[in-house]
Amino acid sequence: MKLITAIIKPFKLDDVKNALNAFGITGMTVSEAMGFGRTRGHTEVYRGAEYTIDLIPKIRLEVVVDSADADKVIDVIVKAASTGAIGDGKVWSVPVDHIVRVRTGERGVDAI
Amino acid sequence: MGTRERRERSDASDRELVELFRGALAITGVQEKEIALAAVGGFGRGELSPGSDLDILFLHFGLDETTLSAFIKAMLNPLWSVGRQIDYSVRTRAETKAVSRGDIKVIMGLLDIRHIAGNVYLTETVSTQAQKQWRRKFRSYLPMIAESIEQRSESFGELAFLLEPDLKEARGGLRDINTIRALAKSEFVPISLDRLAASEALFAQVRDVLHSVTAKPRDQLLLTEQDAVAAKMEFADADALMLEISRAARTVDYVMQLSWFEIERRLHRISLRRSKRVPLAKGLFRYRNEIGVEIGYHIADDPGIGLRAAALAAQRGVRISLESIERIADEFALLPTPWPRQSREDLVAFIGAGEAMIPIFDSLDQEDLISRWIPEWSHLRFLPQRNVLHHHTVDRHMLETAVRAAALTREVHRPDLLLVGALLHDIGKGYQGKDHSDYGAELIHPLAKRLGFSENDAIMLTKMVEHHLLLPTVATRRDIDDPQTIEYVKSLVDSAELLELLHALSIADGEATGRTAWSDWKAGLVENLVERTLAAMKGVTPAPQPELTPSQLAKVSDGSLSLEIFDLGDVLNLEIVAPDRVGLLSAITAVFAVTRLDVRSAKTRTVDGIAVMNWLVNVDINLPTPSREGLLELIERALVSTEDLHIRIEERIRSYRRRPGILVPPPVVTAITQIVTDATIVEVRMHDRPALLHTVATAISEFGVDIRGAIVSTLGAEAFDTLYVTDLSGAALGQDQARELAEQLEIILSAQD
Repeated sequence: MKLITAIIKPFKLDDVKNALNAFGITGMTVSEAMGFGRTRGHTEVYRGAEYTIDLIPKIRLEVVVDSADADKVIDVIVKAASTGAIGDGKVWSVPVDHIVRVRTGERGVDAI
Repeated sequence: MGTRERRERSDASDRELVELFRGALAITGVQEKEIALAAVGGFGRGELSPGSDLDILFLHFGLDETTLSAFIKAMLNPLWSVGRQIDYSVRTRAETKAVSRGDIKVIMGLLDIRHIAGNVYLTETVSTQAQKQWRRKFRSYLPMIAESIEQRSESFGELAFLLEPDLKEARGGLRDINTIRALAKSEFVPISLDRLAASEALFAQVRDVLHSVTAKPRDQLLLTEQDAVAAKMEFADADALMLEISRAARTVDYVMQLSWFEIERRLHRISLRRSKRVPLAKGLFRYRNEIGVEIGYHIADDPGIGLRAAALAAQRGVRISLESIERIADEFALLPTPWPRQSREDLVAFIGAGEAMIPIFDSLDQEDLISRWIPEWSHLRFLPQRNVLHHHTVDRHMLETAVRAAALTREVHRPDLLLVGALLHDIGKGYQGKDHSDYGAELIHPLAKRLGFSENDAIMLTKMVEHHLLLPTVATRRDIDDPQTIEYVKSLVDSAELLELLHALSIADGEATGRTAWSDWKAGLVENLVERTLAAMKGVTPAPQPELTPSQLAKVSDGSLSLEIFDLGDVLNLEIVAPDRVGLLSAITAVFAVTRLDVRSAKTRTVDGIAVMNWLVNVDINLPTPSREGLLELIERALVSTEDLHIRIEERIRSYRRRPGILVPPPVVTAITQIVTDATIVEVRMHDRPALLHTVATAISEFGVDIRGAIVSTLGAEAFDTLYVTDLSGAALGQDQARELAEQLEIILSAQD
């Protein structure tokens, strides 16, 4: 199993959620996040007004999937979250050893 | 499930405890006459909910610790081993007396003490002792009771307005019912407990059903459990159940308030006679920490008195006496449509008072006064909302939003619209099949007109209600880097004034909803969106200097000092023409301050070295209306020197500061330097207070610049003044000088506030 974490632009959440639903993934954890990548401390110019942005608001989305699906799910997220502009975010995955559904005690892939 | 089951459960526990008590006597060899077992609290009253702890007390004649601990272990071990929750204390009679003197929980528990086993004499004497002590020392217990009620109310909130209330601890809940019962037992004042019976039965029943549904002794009724509880109790749905609970809680709270009112009245009966009634406004006086309507005053002839009382009380952080509220309700007179300016301002001052407004609003609502002023309100009372983000019923949420908005009044040009918009932003909630923002916009426009707002202001309020979710929604769901998003916002929000109002409303609404709805994360996104939209707009256009009418222009050509007074009913309109000079506005406002003419609005303009000033002022009811001649003489003297007036003004400001008051946001002074005109524009936003304009005018004069014109407005309790200043040669100030003036003025006003 893999834990896939995606940092995306907030307004892309609905698109990513819909794409994951269409893929058959119905559960996920979403949290508000702040951070920066290569866009750190950049100054944006918008219609003549300048904005210095240190920490940029992002959405952090986490989902655990069967290892066999991981690559496909990452593709789905990347496709849905992409605007082509700087600051679109990142997606990564890490291996997961154990997973238990608290209510039933099911373990492993059954608990996803 | 009801009282009978709770009694049976209590009886069964009694039998079990008696058995165990006898067993423990046999095992430890303790004599029955040496020890007693009694029930206290709810168990003492013979009522036990499925999940309740067993609240018991061991009384003894000084048995040693080893024996006692062996006895208790022998008796309670069988219960502990099956996981029963037991709350027990062990005391002698003397210890009980000592502990109950300083611990309100202990003494109140003892008022309900009931003998279960052992030496009955021990229990009886402790019971009699407790009752006696409660009656005799009642006054010394009062502060403790008040504090415990206050603490609970702070940590658990008010039952009537919570979406997930704690039935026991929240204000208006079971614990309060017990407290009222204890207050009644003191016999200090007569308290009728009849009104509580229905509420108590409902809460107890809901609590039992809740315990059985969840199989846990928890008293908080969560959203997820409300459906099941409602179904089991045969309510139509969860909303019907919650509405019933809200009503019951309000009744409890009301009886509690009445009880305190009676207690305080009795406590102060003697000192009251000595305390002075201070006349405050027409028909109203202050009496200790309450505002009341004068005895014999014809309320029916003065429909504005209720809102006037509400505004005065809220702004001073005091209450309106319950008797007066009842009188205003009994002799209620409908305000004319549209409302007079003064009543609208009173409403704004009332809701703009922050936290202090809520208890006053509640007591007015309890007598149905709010719904009679604003009929749309009755639909919103206790209206539940099934939404995981919200904590409060719709009506309380809107009050909380207004409280948050009061802290943001310096952020906008129209604090009055912000406050009214905040109070009514969810007015369209609870109508099936209708979007609450859209329907709210339909409701608010005619309401705003009834309240006496101009058509432009009514449109502004309509847009505020219609778009109150726009900024947070767009900021989190749309790409704010995309120019089209900004264009979209601009197409709906057509002015910077509206944008700043919507921004402040979003913050107030979000903060009032709760942490899950409004995080720094979201606030940052919204702020970013607002900044971008603002940058794409022209910005806020400050009001242009007022134009003079032909008759005013005619007076300019004359050029000598003149004064005309027009009586407009609730306000005086003063027109003053005077040769301009540095310090003119300071001198005129000094005269107003000492004659207690309270400036509501003003427009002044200087043309060809002559100042034309048009003032709207309120007259102090305790003083006669000043004569034209008297005022002219004072102005002439003030133009020579204001020194003697200063002393009186200082005294007035000092006495204002000594008065009980509420927390208000600090003053904000902004110099607008981007817009080039023949004068520099300085905006002053602050809480209104006596001689405010005089302080501002004097500070500006002392800075060595001239005031060419001014637009002064008082919106409820908030002052918004726009001043047009030039240097002594008549040119606009340089950027640095303007900024320095604004900074100095802000420091002076903050120090005085």
